[in-house]
Amino acid sequence: MKIRIFLGAGGVGKTSVTAASALGTALVQGKHLVLTIDPAQRLRTALKLNAGMASAEKIPLDAYSPKGELWAALLDIRASLDRMVRHDTPAAQAENVLSNPIYELLTSSIGGMQELMAIERIHQAMEDGFESIFLDTAPSRHALEFLDKPEFFVDLVTSPMVQLVGRSYKWWKGSMLEKLSRKAFEVYTHVESLIGVQLTRDVLAFFAAFQKTAEKYAARARKTLDLLRNPEVTRFTIVSVPFQARKDAEYFCDEFARRRFYVDSMVVNRLWPPLPREMPGELPEAVRKSVEWYRAVSAAQLRKRDELVSAFSGRIPSIISVPDFPPDLQGLEALHSMAQSLRVL
Amino acid sequence: MSSHRDQSKLIVFCGKGGVGKTTISLAFALSQADRGRKVVVVTSHPLKELALSISLDGLKEQHHRAAANLFVTYLSPQEILKQRVLETIPSAMLGRAVTSSRIYKSLIEVAPGLKEIAFLGRLTQMARERSQGEDAPRFDLLVWDAPATGHFLQTLKVSRNFHAYLPGPLSALGADLADFFSDSSRLALFAITILEEMAVEETHDLYRSLIQEVEVQPSGLICNMVSPWISAHRLAADGTEPGQPSESLRLLWDRFRVERLFVERLATLASGELRMVERVPESEATVSFLFEISRQLASLGGLDS
Repeated sequence: MKIRIFLGAGGVGKTSVTAASALGTALVQGKHLVLTIDPAQRLRTALKLNAGMASAEKIPLDAYSPKGELWAALLDIRASLDRMVRHDTPAAQAENVLSNPIYELLTSSIGGMQELMAIERIHQAMEDGFESIFLDTAPSRHALEFLDKPEFFVDLVTSPMVQLVGRSYKWWKGSMLEKLSRKAFEVYTHVESLIGVQLTRDVLAFFAAFQKTAEKYAARARKTLDLLRNPEVTRFTIVSVPFQARKDAEYFCDEFARRRFYVDSMVVNRLWPPLPREMPGELPEAVRKSVEWYRAVSAAQLRKRDELVSAFSGRIPSIISVPDFPPDLQGLEALHSMAQSLRVL
Repeated sequence: MSSHRDQSKLIVFCGKGGVGKTTISLAFALSQADRGRKVVVVTSHPLKELALSISLDGLKEQHHRAAANLFVTYLSPQEILKQRVLETIPSAMLGRAVTSSRIYKSLIEVAPGLKEIAFLGRLTQMARERSQGEDAPRFDLLVWDAPATGHFLQTLKVSRNFHAYLPGPLSALGADLADFFSDSSRLALFAITILEEMAVEETHDLYRSLIQEVEVQPSGLICNMVSPWISAHRLAADGTEPGQPSESLRLLWDRFRVERLFVERLATLASGELRMVERVPESEATVSFLFEISRQLASLGGLDS
């Protein structure tokens, strides 16, 4: 069992790198899964990913005479959360949770929800017998927070206040009230007056019902996180583009070191290939200017890449450059070309 | 002009992560400040993080006027809410007890739209801020370097869709926000994109959501980091063709073709202006880099007049 996690800012081609890396592995041997969050349309088509798809799909690789299998799945946050609730809560209560208006908002309003569900999905994929999972994380700097909070849901729902209010707010004015200390009651009243009585109680009531799901989630998440901490199992790769590479490397390395995780490798994606030295003599003004411009950008990219390598070769064991591929190269063919550059990973 | 004399005009730059919202926001603000307008940039990056990618070193020495008129700030919703609690609760000790309680911390994370309401409330408050003893607003322009598309739309929707708060203490604020964002004379919104597949797809979605869900009409679209060829091509009425590609220029031709394809796809959207901003072949975002970008943004939204 291997887990490969790809991290990076939005727009650096993280999904393509993830999928290409999985493709390269699947060509050699074994059954592998690429799990992605929000691929571009072309990649969606190449990987046969549809919104609302329930399970992983096998990608036909016949053109490349594969020795293994590549499967792809879309991480659908709402579907994962639904499944979790149905699985962990008695049927009657599950419906209560699923039809609660707060539940609707949960998927969009909690930062890091994608990552919380990704952990859940990793657990599932392991049960499905994949040899390795290639996970493309959400395009956000908060992506790392998921490493910190497997107890997130439990923290929320096991607060004594949530339990008390959730279970008792119908007879709130009655007996349960005394159980709150005077100070806690005062704090609660102020929170209510800040946010609004009804909303506060709705939220708390919801979380009380959500408790079973949360506790079971946390138990699984703790196990999955142990795997993520194990360098024999999990490897992290930063994906970036030349002009952001230095900044991203600094950020992710620091954040990882703080959590005692380690970055295994880095991909500098979309490096413009240099133009040939010789140019045809007569070029229109706009084209000539563009040639100069291209050369300047491409030289600056190379310089940035080299700076990164000399500054980080001690901290990141493997730094790989991937060229910017011509636009005609699409779908699996593009992933296959990219997989060639990634072979050393 | 009279309709927004009572408050600063709000300029919003929005778009996908990584398209250059912060750079464009700062470049635009810098040139406005250099013309003597008081400008505040509200960025979605904590300032420490911002300083890692953009340097304003030397601004004071080289561009005294711009430095005197430019302000950059970051508003953390958690901090705004905390201030509000501390202001409304008379006892400082109790205030601290509330803000450090688990229930408070959990609730502000999950209460739908609360953080967004707090942020927008502070933003509109800044737009109405007066200097002491002055009649005019403290800032002529408020530039909002918005968060990436998803979070940005979620934030704007709150100003229209705050029914969860109607019975609560924040209802007046919700109504006020809806009012603020419905007046187009106070607001100009520019979408930013780069000429790459995902960014172009997301720009289409962004336009649809803006127009249909929050009823805001973008004032223009900025294509950032384009080649000099495509920006010249857009301007040339004859639509200059690059001609037969020679092998040595193939890489360049490929790039042009993609750019043209995406510009055509974007042209179907463009209400308002379609602006090209060339990629500056430098790798450090310094003051001179920002001024170079700002030259390409001259008279954006008719604001130079």
